[in-house]
Amino acid sequence: MDMLLSSPTFAFIQVLNSISLGMNLFIIAAGLSLIFGVLRVINFAHGVFYMFGAYIMYTVAQDLELGFVTGVIAAAAGLAVIAIVVERGLFQWLYDKEHLMQLLLTFAIVLIMGDLAKIIWGTDQLSVSYPDGLSGAVDLGVTFYPAYRMMLAVIGPVIFIGLFLLIERTRWGRLTRAATQDMEMLAALGVNVPVIYVTIFLIGSALAGVGGALAAPINSPTPGMDATIIVECFVIVIIGGLGSLWGTFVGALIYGFVFNFGSVIVPNWQDVFAFLLLMVVLLIRPWGLFGKPEREGH
Amino acid sequence: MRPTLRTTVAAAALVAASASLAQAEIKIGVLYPIAGNGAVYGTPAMHGHNMGVDEVNAAGGILGQKVVSFARDTKLKPAAAAAAAKELITKEGVDVLIGGLSSAVGLAISEVARQEGIVYIATIPKTIQMTTTKLHKHVFRTSSHTDFEGDAIGQIVNKLGKNKVCDIQLDYAYGHDLAAGIEKGLAKHAPNAKKVIDLRSKLGATDYNAQITQILGSGCDVVTSVLWGSHFVNFAQQAKPFGLFDKVTYISGGEIASHEIAGKMGKDYPDNVISNTYELWYDHSFPGHEKFQADLAKRSGKKETAMWPVLSYTGVKFIAAAAAKSGSMDADKLAAALEGLTIDTPVGERTIDPKTHQANTGQFWGPMVKKDGVDYRVMNPVTFYPATLD
Repeated sequence: MDMLLSSPTFAFIQVLNSISLGMNLFIIAAGLSLIFGVLRVINFAHGVFYMFGAYIMYTVAQDLELGFVTGVIAAAAGLAVIAIVVERGLFQWLYDKEHLMQLLLTFAIVLIMGDLAKIIWGTDQLSVSYPDGLSGAVDLGVTFYPAYRMMLAVIGPVIFIGLFLLIERTRWGRLTRAATQDMEMLAALGVNVPVIYVTIFLIGSALAGVGGALAAPINSPTPGMDATIIVECFVIVIIGGLGSLWGTFVGALIYGFVFNFGSVIVPNWQDVFAFLLLMVVLLIRPWGLFGKPEREGH
Repeated sequence: MRPTLRTTVAAAALVAASASLAQAEIKIGVLYPIAGNGAVYGTPAMHGHNMGVDEVNAAGGILGQKVVSFARDTKLKPAAAAAAAKELITKEGVDVLIGGLSSAVGLAISEVARQEGIVYIATIPKTIQMTTTKLHKHVFRTSSHTDFEGDAIGQIVNKLGKNKVCDIQLDYAYGHDLAAGIEKGLAKHAPNAKKVIDLRSKLGATDYNAQITQILGSGCDVVTSVLWGSHFVNFAQQAKPFGLFDKVTYISGGEIASHEIAGKMGKDYPDNVISNTYELWYDHSFPGHEKFQADLAKRSGKKETAMWPVLSYTGVKFIAAAAAKSGSMDADKLAAALEGLTIDTPVGERTIDPKTHQANTGQFWGPMVKKDGVDYRVMNPVTFYPATLD
């Protein structure tokens, strides 16, 4: 606390810490939010998708030594394949069923994939090295800051802009938004809605994979890492508004700042503030800062 | 009537088999996190346990009877462990309980042992409470505890001659108890050392930037900690780019010098780390270790064996020795025999204090350095800190 007030450099570093944490989480939460926005599925399995991304990164970059970028691509591709199997094989049969059944299904996937990961990668805590050139720190004039964290803070907004342009500025994005409004009307107009659904699920899941791959050098791939991240993602998307891209972006930043400054100011209560904020949002504005109130029906 | 002979032999074999089944056995209830996220510790712990039981059986069992283990998964949860312990006692009728991993789980099993009046040997839990405020007639601990760990850290800080200390601990029983242990160790061995900053991180935390930058901002020259397992991997990976390990000496409990951490981290393991372990597969300071390690390597299928087996193995050996001494598996007699009992282990002689029920389990401490020809770090020099407080 004293350091925050006495040292502007220290305070500045905390701002950077908050942004880089928030942006790393944004990449993952954006996928969760996107999938909910279109498919109306609350995907609890998003956390294990993230974990698989991290493990795939370990296998490709650390074990097979094929390089960091290959690892990110492999994680995205691997999760895309898993997404197609899960959406076409399972989810598509449950869209017109009640939410509870979808929720239970995604929970079953969490347990199955969690055990699968233990069979494939074992139960040890693994470690992934930083990519060449990003293991050190960059000189920002007033202070040094880890290069890898800076990169995460840049990739987040790039993905945000990319998704924003895709959804808001392309024909395909318009169809996607239309699918969230009235899927039956869209199908009646001759649009192939299942393709939209599977594509959205694929993009959302690949984001979880990329998020996991990018987190691997700073978050040791280990069983159970999915449980932590899914809670953080839900806090973010509920604060920001489920289904809202802007909401997720702002929610992730808020989470980053609240968590990081909470850790510095009241170390024993670091988790409390994010959840306190979550409670306030749920009580006052249950649809989140940027979300829209849910209409009755589907 | 040729087949009759065969039938008779088969029948005789069956009778013999059922007779041996009916023969009394010594039943040990074993509690480790066998499946789930705790399996990273539970699996090697079971290797050590089974090896101990096999050796005891090969030597004629306990009191001439065969030892049989009934293993249950604690799921790293106190409630699950307590339920499993109860089930082992009432349904399987085990003679003794052994195991426990995590301080909270250990205390839960100990409570069941107290209620049911059965001996429990805690092989891994470290919280000081188990052998102080929560001590009872039937609980014994063969692992180390937080005051021993803190005392060793105090001695190391003194030897380094550094005196600005940052302390970072996990926010749960073990972390709190070790923080207290370090306080005592520093006061005793390094009275000039001053605690500059106290940091807490939650159990399972993944982001340490706030703590790392506070350590750097506080200007301390030594960090004491107990970030174990993946906590340490995450902390180290995040702290390296900040240059933290160039600026401070990082002294940690929680056995991050064990080969399961050093081996997995490989070349990512940071500089200037001094830590502890119960056992090192490559250190044969104590007689009997070389054979123990070779047997363990055969059993677990790898040359570079884990640290946990020696703890579960030692627990089994204590039960066998206590039963031999008392001549009975009766809980009260067994407990009386355990008090003051000394046995040889692959990592030195161990004696259980009759008053506190705590074994004098010391640990190996030392800096983790690079070694030619291998891509993981090893402890060098290895120093054994015996468990003596007064």
